[in-house]
Amino acid sequence: MKKLAKEKELTEELSGLLEEHASDLKKQWVKEMTEMGLLEKLTPVEIDQQSTAIYDTCVLTLKTGVYEAAKKYAREMARKGVLEAMTVEQIIMGMLKLRDVYGRFIFSKYQGDPEKLNEVLGIYEPVANRILSIVALAFVEEREKSIKEQQRAMLALSTPVLQIRDQILALPLIGTIDSARAAQIVEQLLNSIVATQASIVIIDITGVPVIDTAVANHLIKTIQAAKMLGADTIITGISPANAQTLVTLGVDLSMMTTRSTLRAGVKLADEMLRLEVVEKK
Amino acid sequence: MALQIPILKIEEFLIVSFQTELSDREIEELRESILEKIKEQSARGLIIDITALGVIDSFLARSLSSIASMANLLGAKTVVVGMQPAVALTLVELGLRIRWNLATALNLEKGLALLRKNLREEVTSLG
Amino acid sequence: MGEEVLPVKSEYDIIYVRGSGRNAAARIGFGAVDQCRITTAISELARNAVVHARGGVITIRTLEDDRKGIEIVCKDEGPGIEDLELVLAGGYSTVGGLGAGLAGARRLMDEFDIKTEMGRGTTVTIRKWLR
Repeated sequence: MKKLAKEKELTEELSGLLEEHASDLKKQWVKEMTEMGLLEKLTPVEIDQQSTAIYDTCVLTLKTGVYEAAKKYAREMARKGVLEAMTVEQIIMGMLKLRDVYGRFIFSKYQGDPEKLNEVLGIYEPVANRILSIVALAFVEEREKSIKEQQRAMLALSTPVLQIRDQILALPLIGTIDSARAAQIVEQLLNSIVATQASIVIIDITGVPVIDTAVANHLIKTIQAAKMLGADTIITGISPANAQTLVTLGVDLSMMTTRSTLRAGVKLADEMLRLEVVEKK
Repeated sequence: MALQIPILKIEEFLIVSFQTELSDREIEELRESILEKIKEQSARGLIIDITALGVIDSFLARSLSSIASMANLLGAKTVVVGMQPAVALTLVELGLRIRWNLATALNLEKGLALLRKNLREEVTSLG
Repeated sequence: MGEEVLPVKSEYDIIYVRGSGRNAAARIGFGAVDQCRITTAISELARNAVVHARGGVITIRTLEDDRKGIEIVCKDEGPGIEDLELVLAGGYSTVGGLGAGLAGARRLMDEFDIKTEMGRGTTVTIRKWLR
């Protein structure tokens, strides 16, 4: 209990000091960053605004022990237009500089009392380190997110839905299909049906080596959803091996219209459309 | 209560458009209006346009299903048109607990074509 | 972490809470299909509370710690659900019976949790995570 109260007292004292000397310390910090060339791309207004925001957020975090504000700001730094002109390296160097400035200040204030210095550092260091890791993590996450988005975009390109006739779409699938990819494929296909007003979709799975229950269920889901949009689906390219797998797995195949090759599928589709034309006459 | 949803007639078919989300009571009233109109006009088909609906939960799905069943008893086949892809997927995932016994078509034009085709087939099968 | 608390008593509230849910989902960054799934799941929960429990309270929460997501809690003080197993298996004796929509909501979301006590009420929690 006594230790906690003492920590609280020291924390308040330290944050009080940092607030009191904010103007000087900020100036020092900005000066050192400028000397390192970290702030080249920023305008004076930006420098002033952001250095104040960061400084204040750090002191607030130290004072309250709550990291929400720091997390929020870090995310903004990583995501939006805040400090856009700085590279990730520059931003992290800048944060390290701030940590140094605070550290040196603490040292200068308490150097006469080594025991107290130790205690204050004991409070300060974990907070400073945690803030730094929050900032670094925010950038890593943002980077991962952007990579994932790029991958998704590439996947979209690699799953072309082809319009082979006025009313017929063909979707040749190649490679292994995991859940994420399957979801994307289905969405793309449905949107294409709406966009092209197709009545028949041919999904060719010649290029899909493994058909398991998951893939089969995705196919069934696709067939059902396409039906909701008024389109019939033909599955082509099921290998004899896959045919056996599907039957053995007990997948509900009554839902599927199939042909062994894409060509046969197109022929069927043509027949289905021709029938409609004939009937109209 | 006056229903703001117009029920249009094209050939022997009725067309109803769901423009906004309807409350349960409004759906019931709509159903009554539709069935009355079918009888009144001796309609042979009904098109329900759901292009504007961003959500169809199990209740609405059941309501649509029951409208179709009742319309059928009155001699009119129902086609639902304009389902949004996201809604289609969600309904499929919601599962077969929903009795989806409704014919579907992409849009009004295709829906009408389907109804006409149905009508022709009926006539030829009876003739 | 945003949070919205919405009481649902009437069928109009179901429509309202759907809209809030969709907006929250869109804000978090869910795509069109996920927005639809989330909104539909909310509709099922809300309707269940309104129709079978004389109303309830829906809380829509943005989740933002390790990854982003949405959480919806539906709490009612209704009669409770007697045969939870049956309900969750998606079976129900009467069409639109108690808990009918819950099985559907479960299929649409990533996480589903339900606590029910006869005579006290039911609390359903559902979550979906951004991929």
